[in-house]
Amino acid sequence: MSSWEDDDSAAAAAAAAATTDVELLKRAWRNEKASPEILRFDSALVSRVREQIQLLEETLDDFGESGVDDLVVSLYQMDLDRTLFLLRSYLRLRLQKIEKYMMHISKSEDLLSRLSQQEQRFAKSCTEMMEKHLEQSVLSKLPYGYDSVTRQSLSSTEDDMVPEPQLDTFVFCKTKSDVGAFQLDDIGEEVVDLVADDLYVLRYKSIKGLVESGQIDLI
Amino acid sequence: MYKALSDVFDQVIRECNEHNAQFQSLIRKMVEQNLDIETTRNDEHYGAAVHHLSLLRNKRCLMAYMYNRAEVIQSFRWKIGPVLPHEIQEKLQFSEKEYFKNHSAVIKSYMSEMDIDLTVDMVPPKDPYIQVRVLEDIGEVSLGDHSISLTKNSLHFLRRTDTEQFISQVTSSVLVLPGHEELEKPHAF
Amino acid sequence: MAGQSDPHLSIFSPSEVEFVAEDEIVEIVPNIRMEALNMICGDFGPFFPQIPSKVPLWLAVALKKRGKCTIRTPDWMAVDRLTQVLDAERESPKEFQPLPFHYIEISKLLFDHARDDISDAYLVRSLIEDIRDVRFHKVETGLETISGRTHAVKLKNLSAMEVNIVRPFMVRTLQAFYKHDSPQMIQQADNTGSRTTPVTDRGPRRDLRRSLNLLTVFE
Repeated sequence: MSSWEDDDSAAAAAAAAATTDVELLKRAWRNEKASPEILRFDSALVSRVREQIQLLEETLDDFGESGVDDLVVSLYQMDLDRTLFLLRSYLRLRLQKIEKYMMHISKSEDLLSRLSQQEQRFAKSCTEMMEKHLEQSVLSKLPYGYDSVTRQSLSSTEDDMVPEPQLDTFVFCKTKSDVGAFQLDDIGEEVVDLVADDLYVLRYKSIKGLVESGQIDLI
Repeated sequence: MYKALSDVFDQVIRECNEHNAQFQSLIRKMVEQNLDIETTRNDEHYGAAVHHLSLLRNKRCLMAYMYNRAEVIQSFRWKIGPVLPHEIQEKLQFSEKEYFKNHSAVIKSYMSEMDIDLTVDMVPPKDPYIQVRVLEDIGEVSLGDHSISLTKNSLHFLRRTDTEQFISQVTSSVLVLPGHEELEKPHAF
Repeated sequence: MAGQSDPHLSIFSPSEVEFVAEDEIVEIVPNIRMEALNMICGDFGPFFPQIPSKVPLWLAVALKKRGKCTIRTPDWMAVDRLTQVLDAERESPKEFQPLPFHYIEISKLLFDHARDDISDAYLVRSLIEDIRDVRFHKVETGLETISGRTHAVKLKNLSAMEVNIVRPFMVRTLQAFYKHDSPQMIQQADNTGSRTTPVTDRGPRRDLRRSLNLLTVFE
């Protein structure tokens, strides 16, 4: 587990050196949009972007007082607006994905660990509210044995009523560098040669690892 | 969004309870005959199975119906705002209205914890200034350090962020709509 | 809400695709002197009259709208280049010509905001429309080659807007085939597999390159 995180942060640091934070956020935004499941929240990246936003907001305030050219002010304002949109859209997108799979996420420690602390609280409260609502409107009116929110009845041996993302859906993706022959299935019957900059449509499940390690971008 | 189907809904609930009553009585019959419920495959067993499966099907339908409506309801917080217009309110059940309130509160507390408003900037920004035409009288509106009067059919160059609260409200009556975004910002700079 | 297509299949709105395209770098010729802009999205300038400078498209458009620069038409938008591309698109029904990933959005933005900077604007516009049409037609034809054995599709040189348009059809088709097909692995007779891959050889390798350059369909 810890070596995973080390790899992640090393990869993130290397990528950060080569590109701007806003570019990294845009990548996270695109990946999040295109991936069926919730991805890991990059707290460090988000706080860096927020710092830059705050700094620019302060600069713009100073500009206002020091009478900097309106043209320059409006250009910086656009830069700020674009960054703010990206940040808001990214955070909103994640909340909406959490809304969609709230119960599925809330019952898995692994999934919860991908969320920020605020998102974790959001997921848990959302689930409570939804369960309360379903309890009130449907479940309380059903006979004993059929009143579980996660299981169809007492005879279900596992949670069979929890909406979850479809991980074997197909996604569009692009590799940043040659990955080489990549195995799509478990038994080596489906192999694809992933060439840099080419565009592929693949099953999300099979390239999930490459998305997490930052080797492939969803588009 | 359609009005909640309370009659049909209640009917399906009644059906569930009837299935359950039938199911219980068939099981009881088997118990009275000292039959092993787990292994016996007689008329009563198959009858009970049909009632059980019918009940499951009804439950899935009820849950899917409620869950889907709940998803639509929670999307209203993003698309409309914290207060639902009357024509939507009246289509909701009591529990759904509660759900909307509770769910909105959860979103609100996330936003205040994060200190960021996620209900603006729904679409990518263009120029920070856009031209808008007021569709219906809105009156005096305070925008940061100054206020302007939004009277019907008047044209304004406003900061995009200032106009969004009016644009995103899909209530038909009071609106500012973006006019010709292509138009230049006034020659102030 | 009713009748809306699956929101998960239409991932990016056209305005979001355009937003991403606005970060593409173009060249402007300013008519003013302006200090360097140190923005969140990067550092640009300083700007001097008549000295070309590279900036993101959104910044170029903003300066253009305020009358502060002309935008240089990118090389690929020259009439002779586009004519070549169009001919090549027509001649090779199974291949897409390389064009910028955002060629549709970039050209649209330039037509909307910097039309007077484009020489032969009318001709350029109609060439791009023709290219787009030919390519869309190829995408449609390509979709027909998807079959039950398709587990990966390679779309060399497909552009962002084209991806966005083809995505719902492509994903739905692949998913449908995958769903109906997945229980049993399919034997593949016509094996051209001359390629070797580092993956352990197990059983008959299925046709990796039924080579359509347009849509390389991995089966």
